[in-house]
Amino acid sequence: MNAALVTFKKELMSYCVSPVSWVIAVVFYLWRGFEMASLTQVFAFYRIDQELLPPQTYGLSSTFLMVMLVPGILTMRCFAEERRSGSIETLMTAPVRDAEIVLGKWAAATVFYALLWLPSVLILHVLEYGPFLDADLAFGPVFAAYLGMFLLSGMLLAFGCFASSLTDNVLLAALLTIIFDFGLLRLPQQLGGYLGELSKNYYVRELLDKLDVMRNFSEWFARGLIDTSQVAFYVGGIAFFLFLTCISLASRRIA
Amino acid sequence: MIRVTELTKRYGSFLAVDRISFEVARGQIVGFLGPNGAGKTTTIRVLTGFHPATSGQCELAGHDVGKDSLAVRRHLGYLPQEVPIYPDMRVLEYLRYRAALKGVAAKERTLAVSRAMDKAGISDVGRKLCGAVSHGYRQRVGLADALVANPPILILDEPTSGLDPNQRRRIKQVVRDLANEHTVLFSSHILGEVQEVSSRILIIHRGTLCADGSPDSLVAQGQMRTLRLSVLGTPAVVAAALVGVPGLDLTCLVAQSNGLTSAAFSLPRDVEPTAQLAQCLARAALPVHELRIELPTLEEYFHTITEGRDRAAEVAAAAAVTASAAEVLP
Repeated sequence: MNAALVTFKKELMSYCVSPVSWVIAVVFYLWRGFEMASLTQVFAFYRIDQELLPPQTYGLSSTFLMVMLVPGILTMRCFAEERRSGSIETLMTAPVRDAEIVLGKWAAATVFYALLWLPSVLILHVLEYGPFLDADLAFGPVFAAYLGMFLLSGMLLAFGCFASSLTDNVLLAALLTIIFDFGLLRLPQQLGGYLGELSKNYYVRELLDKLDVMRNFSEWFARGLIDTSQVAFYVGGIAFFLFLTCISLASRRIA
Repeated sequence: MIRVTELTKRYGSFLAVDRISFEVARGQIVGFLGPNGAGKTTTIRVLTGFHPATSGQCELAGHDVGKDSLAVRRHLGYLPQEVPIYPDMRVLEYLRYRAALKGVAAKERTLAVSRAMDKAGISDVGRKLCGAVSHGYRQRVGLADALVANPPILILDEPTSGLDPNQRRRIKQVVRDLANEHTVLFSSHILGEVQEVSSRILIIHRGTLCADGSPDSLVAQGQMRTLRLSVLGTPAVVAAALVGVPGLDLTCLVAQSNGLTSAAFSLPRDVEPTAQLAQCLARAALPVHELRIELPTLEEYFHTITEGRDRAAEVAAAAAVTASAAEVLP
């Protein structure tokens, strides 16, 4: 696990010094700030229950930006850049297991992604004060909402790592991840309609329910409810895509 | 330390390496020679575990590359042909990262990095960004990376490519110094430096191993020597005088401005014509200014077994076509 930790530190440092990361952070927080200000005004004007504020933040376009675009942008260089520059050769001939490299890179991307989200907690905190909502937001829903976001993004970043291991073209890797993210967030809602009678089958319905990430968020995590089956779904998804990434790397060594 | 048995590597239908076998003993520096595209880098990539072998077996430090790649990599320092280093890291940072990745203990890391930097001669660029150093320094950073964990086996793929003569000399000196502590396999297509540095040479051509031996023994295997002669007289007279000497194959006859004629002959290894030659020249009353026999160089030997083989194959193919055509014709 030492190599995973070494890879994690190196990757996290390279995210921190990368201008792309800072551009993402600036764009996200400017956009988020404006959206949250508008949302608070609406809540104050119509005297809406403040407890409903956290679930509403899921519908903001800045959230979509973070969930659909950012995982692909963060992970596109993970392996594709190593393959393009040839540094994959020195990496794969070092005495480390493929799984350690994959784990280190994914963990760095996930922690950096979480760090990008972290200041948004401050926005919620600021809203609790006088000139804004003067509301007392409950800890539970906020924590559950962030946990859900962390798990979902972990899975999307794991897919990003996998996509990046398939090609030496960073843009293609990003595009693959963005298409996957878009499909995961939008497709399950549409799929029920397309499947017709089949969607009434118990197992198909269960699968579609689990895959319907946006509904799960608004009905569970955003209300402060943590469903273990959903946690298992995301953790399983992370493990599955990291495993595929390892297979993709190991395929070089398999005759 | 390195044992390769019947190694074959195919990329689809292209046969890159064809059943090569060799061994490298502990402490040896072995030069791996071959023209571009001969299969040097492919062999090295299989040895380092980066690419799998199609068939055959490779063992490094007693571990099978295919079955126990991780153990092999623990004993190996590798410098690839194109040194890929992260441009946004400083040289010192990069080497510390690589040392940590290779499992060098934290308390020994500073010493290991500074020792590797000293050996590679890059102590003055530690604070520079990897992306900002010149090609020569990049190559040496790669060498320091290969050395940083002090592995018993070093595989260096064209370590001097793209370097200026001073940098090349420095790398050669470093490789020579490594002989005491490491087993080194280094590839190159520059014959001079392989001859200077290695105690043994392997020559690979079109994926097959053509020669294996010390530089001197390989040179001694050369079939043809060159006899050079400088005589006072016209080329026609000189040529006429030497007609009777058996075993000589005239390759060059040039008139010099001072009345001398220079001649060069290709000379088989078992022919000693100097006595007969002197007799013929004396009979024709031609004063000899210079007469010397040159031994074949490693370059000539290399040329003979690489291009010479290709030429022989072409001639054989052409002869086969002619023979089959002759059979068909009435």
